[in-house]
Amino acid sequence: MNIIDVLIEQSPALIIAIPLLGAFLMPLVSRINSTVRNIFGLLVLCLTGFFVGILASDVLANGPRLYIFGAKDLAVPMVRILFEVDSMSIFMALITMVLAFITLIYSWSFMKDHDGLDKYYTLVLLLITSTLGMELTGDIFNFFVFLEISCIASCALIAFWISEGEALEAAFKYIVVSAIGALFVLFAIGLLYAQYNALNIATLANVLKYTFLDKIILVLLLVVLGMKAGLVPMHMWLPDSYGRAPPSVTLIIMGATLASFYGVLRVIFTLYGNVLSTTMRFSIPLNVLVGWILITLAIISIIVGVAMALVQSDFMRLIGFSAVAEVGYMFLAIGAGIAALGTPYATTALQGGILHLLNDALDIGLLFLVAGAVYYITKKRSLDDISGLARNMKYTTVFFVIGLLAVVGMPPLNGFASKFLIYESVYQLNPILSIVAILCSILMLAVFVKVFYAVFMGPELPAFKNVTEAPRSMLLAMGVVAALMIFIGLFPNLVIDALVKPAADALLNHAQYIGTVVGGV
Amino acid sequence: MDVLGLSELLVRIILGTLGLATFGIIFGLFYIGIDRKLSAHMQGRIGPPFRQPFRDVAKLFTKENIIPDHAIPWIFNLSPLIGLIATISILLYLPLGGFPPLFASGGDLIVILYLLIIPSLALVIGGFSSGSPYAIIGAQREMATMIAYEFPLAVLIITVAWNLLQKGITNVFSFSTIAAAPVWNQVAGPLGFIGFAILLFVLLLVTPAELSKIPFDSPEAETELAGGLLVEYSGRNLAMYYLTDGVKTVVMASIIVALFFPYNLSPFIGLGSYTGIIIDVLFYLLKVFLVILFSVTLIRVSIARLKIDQIVYTYWIPLTLASLVGLILVMWDQNIVQWFS
Amino acid sequence: MFSLESGSGFWNPILWIFIFFIAFLLFYGIRGFGKSAYKKDTDQTKAFLSGNEESSAEEMHVKASNLYWGFTTSMKTVYTELRKMHTGNASDYVLWFVIILAFLFLIIGVM
Repeated sequence: MNIIDVLIEQSPALIIAIPLLGAFLMPLVSRINSTVRNIFGLLVLCLTGFFVGILASDVLANGPRLYIFGAKDLAVPMVRILFEVDSMSIFMALITMVLAFITLIYSWSFMKDHDGLDKYYTLVLLLITSTLGMELTGDIFNFFVFLEISCIASCALIAFWISEGEALEAAFKYIVVSAIGALFVLFAIGLLYAQYNALNIATLANVLKYTFLDKIILVLLLVVLGMKAGLVPMHMWLPDSYGRAPPSVTLIIMGATLASFYGVLRVIFTLYGNVLSTTMRFSIPLNVLVGWILITLAIISIIVGVAMALVQSDFMRLIGFSAVAEVGYMFLAIGAGIAALGTPYATTALQGGILHLLNDALDIGLLFLVAGAVYYITKKRSLDDISGLARNMKYTTVFFVIGLLAVVGMPPLNGFASKFLIYESVYQLNPILSIVAILCSILMLAVFVKVFYAVFMGPELPAFKNVTEAPRSMLLAMGVVAALMIFIGLFPNLVIDALVKPAADALLNHAQYIGTVVGGV
Repeated sequence: MDVLGLSELLVRIILGTLGLATFGIIFGLFYIGIDRKLSAHMQGRIGPPFRQPFRDVAKLFTKENIIPDHAIPWIFNLSPLIGLIATISILLYLPLGGFPPLFASGGDLIVILYLLIIPSLALVIGGFSSGSPYAIIGAQREMATMIAYEFPLAVLIITVAWNLLQKGITNVFSFSTIAAAPVWNQVAGPLGFIGFAILLFVLLLVTPAELSKIPFDSPEAETELAGGLLVEYSGRNLAMYYLTDGVKTVVMASIIVALFFPYNLSPFIGLGSYTGIIIDVLFYLLKVFLVILFSVTLIRVSIARLKIDQIVYTYWIPLTLASLVGLILVMWDQNIVQWFS
Repeated sequence: MFSLESGSGFWNPILWIFIFFIAFLLFYGIRGFGKSAYKKDTDQTKAFLSGNEESSAEEMHVKASNLYWGFTTSMKTVYTELRKMHTGNASDYVLWFVIILAFLFLIIGVM
């Protein structure tokens, strides 16, 4: 076996271990020099990215890969922690790595003048570790551990600008909501263990019978993970924390939010995959009920998200509300895919939802980067105070226009590709859903055109006569994200065939996921 | 794809774009001229000759292109161009003159719905970048109007596609499928007929808002905002917006004809190739003229301008409820017929 | 190959980019026939305010929170309810969580 195969075998553990080690070494390295610290962070992320890349090429070609902590082979009883990486997990890991790289490059100039940067980079690497762990793990208690790590690291990062009282308040609300949610998840895991005496997702999925306690567990997991992903009406922590955290941090917290969304997918499609067709009272199968619950909450999310975003006057809080609306689009597609499981348009809806995951991470990420650049130059948060920046900040304006067109879903950018798939599959379930989705897309356009006018156009106020362009590493980060968005928009087929179709198939094919663990015994 | 097919496609794109751009501009300006003449006669005046819009555009090209002090020059100059180009690009996906669309597998109804936003968006961004308070108020009114009329338009489009889906047709959003299966043939009973008639009425009322004509032209209110969005535009930029208005008229009328009246005359008369084609094109131009007469001219001369919150109320409450009633009637159409039979 | 096909429609972005590019060349050329000169820094380039005096930039600036007045006024009932819902109280956040939890327990537990 050559060296690449050995590395691929060990890569699931290394993907978690390398950023974790980097996080713990970061305070020591920071004592030397700030440039050495920046280079060290980049090296850690490059190494992790390399391992994610080779693991992705293996998983997309050969199917799910298993890594057992502490033993060479599977043995009954399954007490080891297992990492099971299938195409959906590695898709999420790729998104997380892209967000991580962009955050790091952006932070170099954005956070340059702050104190306590060693703690900042430590926490960022810890948050990246926990997000990757949530996505790669195959053990539900391990998922809870990584969820807790991400809660604590996010809370500390949201409160990073301690000198502003609102950041502390946002972090406090975040930790209250997340800690209560995590406790309920622990309760659900305890119920699972008490019933089935196993913690491994594949083993549990194999033996799950739909008892009354299982119904409780499903509701607990769905509601908590939906709350962490930003589903209305439990979304209110999201604009608070996204609006007050440093924008480079918001990107990684968005990665954690998307990992909670991935948790919802894992619970419904894999953990409860075998029992999704059980019929309940009034002969409604479980998947129709769960799907319609998610669709209802998603439609309310989209409407409330854009309606509240239309009246905000704080830049980053506005983008936070539109992030709630975009999460609503994702849940709409997934809910339609679950409710119509088995029909061809359900697969299209699932593919649209998964592509929208990637697009949303990039679009909202670019908008937050631009908001950060504007804050860095003008030190103002409210849209009423800024004006006329397009005269001096030309590149930032162009990137904002690209982000605006993409988040609204205008052709030919990437937002249109995923919204196209969503509209043209969801209407087959019920036409009203597609209508609300199209309408809220236009409302999103109104929101961001208002921001475009307020920040970039308008008269030249004397306070902003001499603003300069944003620093170069920030422009580089924005440029990379914009280039990715244009590429996905112009060649949607390439991305869908290479990444999204295998991920959707891996979700629908829960027998393969279970068989990798249980069949191998 | 081999080199021959690729070069053929390229030639088709170039000739199609140039040809349809010429068609769109000439017939757009021509229809604006007819509209002005007819509305003048309805108001008891004589009105300008039919070729007045061509003279207007030619005159605008000889005027100075003033860029205001407070404007942002590159956005100010670029928005009219982007609006016009996007409107021209819609023409290549529509079935015009009885022919199938030029690039039927390149765009469908949802694509056209989004491409129709681009000219209005170009107007809005041009208005915002003008640096005058009148333009800013006009631009945000245009944005609010856009939010208002998209709701009934979305209901309409999804209803047409959903109805075709229930009949078992695939690729329901594509225009070649819609033109081949007219809506009036797809209804099973009187309920569906009434539903689609209501939807046609709603679409005829959405068209003046898309084209910014009275009573929905609050963004360009000449009497309140001194020209609104376009107050600072002059010369060749204003000519581009004028051309966009003309082409968008043809585009909206073509969409109504393609969705609701895609019938051709030549199968009925049974004529041969060239005469049949000419009869089809003339019939199509007649249909477009009738649509513009009923949705733009007649409404323009009879109703006064609405306030912006009245516009939002009109589209979101009565017209959306009407289109939702149309959707429900179409959904029940099949069930009622089965129930009665 | 470059065309995205959902089950019900088509979208080909490369084709649209080509069309856009060719139309751009055409209309940029047509636009070049127009006049591009104007008299800079005269009264021509001042904003047209129907003869009123132009004040300083801060006073003429239309603030962003005043935009979309027409839309927010016609949806006034909806917006008062929405704003009341977003109180900012951490206990209200947990209250909404508990409400949804109870609601879903009832639905999934009973059925």
